[in-house]
Amino acid sequence: MFWRLVFQLLRGSRARLTVAILALVSGAAVISGLLNLDFGVEDQLTQQFRTLGANVIIAPPPGQSTPDAPLADFELMDEAAVLGQMRQFAGANVFAPFAYVITRVEETPIVAVGTWLDQLQKLNPTWKLEGNWISSRADTSACLIGRNASKQLRVNAGDRLQLQYLTRNASCKISGIIDSGASDDNQVFLNLDALQRLAAIPGKISVVQVSASGSPQTVAATAGQLGAALPQLQVHPIREVTDAEGALLGRIRLLIVSMIMLILALTALCVLATMAALAMERRADVGLMKALGGSITRIVSLFVAEVGLLGAVGGFAGTILGVGLSYWMGFRVFGIAVTPQWQIFPITIILMTLVAMAGAWPLRLLGEVKPAIILRGE
Amino acid sequence: MPAVVQVENLRKEFGKVRALDAVSFEIQEGEWIAIMGPSGSGKTTLINILGGLDTPTSGRAAVDGVEVGRLDEAGLTRFRAEKIGFVFQQFHLVPYLTAVENVMLAQYFHSTTDEQEARQALERVGLGDRTEHLPTQLSGGEQQRVAVARALINQPKLILADEPTGNLDEANEKIVLDLLRELHSEGRTILMVTHAPTIGALADRRIDFSHGHLVSQQGAGAPEEK
Repeated sequence: MFWRLVFQLLRGSRARLTVAILALVSGAAVISGLLNLDFGVEDQLTQQFRTLGANVIIAPPPGQSTPDAPLADFELMDEAAVLGQMRQFAGANVFAPFAYVITRVEETPIVAVGTWLDQLQKLNPTWKLEGNWISSRADTSACLIGRNASKQLRVNAGDRLQLQYLTRNASCKISGIIDSGASDDNQVFLNLDALQRLAAIPGKISVVQVSASGSPQTVAATAGQLGAALPQLQVHPIREVTDAEGALLGRIRLLIVSMIMLILALTALCVLATMAALAMERRADVGLMKALGGSITRIVSLFVAEVGLLGAVGGFAGTILGVGLSYWMGFRVFGIAVTPQWQIFPITIILMTLVAMAGAWPLRLLGEVKPAIILRGE
Repeated sequence: MPAVVQVENLRKEFGKVRALDAVSFEIQEGEWIAIMGPSGSGKTTLINILGGLDTPTSGRAAVDGVEVGRLDEAGLTRFRAEKIGFVFQQFHLVPYLTAVENVMLAQYFHSTTDEQEARQALERVGLGDRTEHLPTQLSGGEQQRVAVARALINQPKLILADEPTGNLDEANEKIVLDLLRELHSEGRTILMVTHAPTIGALADRRIDFSHGHLVSQQGAGAPEEK
């Protein structure tokens, strides 16, 4: 009988309750849309920031070398030892070892970078390339050259490059010209083994660049784990990337939370106004119910269930609309595809149910109704 | 056998207005009493006190041994649910509940609902084919019959009817009075407020009020004039 009465209450006041349900659906739509966007934006921004390149660097500790030390000892790490530890961090994370040496090409000094050429594109997704990427890590005959370096040396894709370091030479065929927009445009990228042979630093590397996946907190945690695994080395996140990502996410989240609070308050006010009018309308019904022996607890529980049901239904319907809204906003405002986050359904439904109940505060006045007065028609 | 209703030296004041003053009478089980008097004589105040909708300023009003003035809010609520069946002049049905649901509402507040029993109560008042109708789809007489079915559903010790035919045409008035007569013949105790002497004459006893005082009692069971 309880729910039968609740549904009849809803049916009996459907005109007035339409206003409340519209407020709840609208509120839920915007709130769930913002929540969906919030969750989606974090994932999307994390992915976007990953395209900016490595966010963790592993390097030798400072002050290890002396100015007159041979190159073989000059701020270099043991490749096998470092990469052995790195294997446990593979998977979602992309990494590659790097070794640097200043070579000469026809008397022009140029920085040669030895690395895993097949990982360059994954580490730097925003780099543009004229020519072809190198897909084989074992290919020692091909190399890539930065845009500025290619202009300086007047070479193009397909040309051969002769690199000289002290008395040793290395030759490679330029597979592509890199446009990074950064200092990488001044460098030549060649196979790590080839560079180690050229510089006579077999098994040695300068740094390891890591593109760790996840949120800024996850990246910091990964850096911490790497640091613990490699205590003799410097492991630090690249702050420009992680801080920018964290700051942007923080601002977006603050904006979204502020808007959600505002919308919750506005929805509660709208429900409150409707319920205040409804409380006046229902004085006679409540007076009669009391006269028939209805306790105020049983009577008010009917209204609370009615309002709770409104909140839950409004929350559910609004969330469906909100998911669509966030999908649209993701495309239009942020240029990203926001996928539905199913956890926003319970969050929004609970929020709207609580808001509806808060808005039903005027119904407490019904507890003061005196049946004798109501039944006299006053 | 003790009286179902015992009223002793009952007084009710609203501010400086004395609505009831030194009212005393008793009603035996199965009696049909008509309370009569002009507007403002205290009839409705008396019914409200006996129905647990109001409390006396002083004196005693007891129904089935339960003294109304001693009950707290929760006690009054249980008292209304268990002891009293109300029939109002304005019918007072919940507009968005069907006839059977209006009857079940009284069951719901009393204990548990039994739809079959509620339908039988409506059949008894001649509304077996109107159980799913809303009050707006029923005539005044039909609405009052729903109210009578609702008043009876919990087997109350006392039926309080405040001008039960006041809003009805002659035909419906007859139907409702026939119903009350039938209830009386079954041994129900009825206290009915009315302005109409012809209706008051149907009762076993007539109690007249004026300016808050009980001025006379006539009919079977009336105390002898001193």
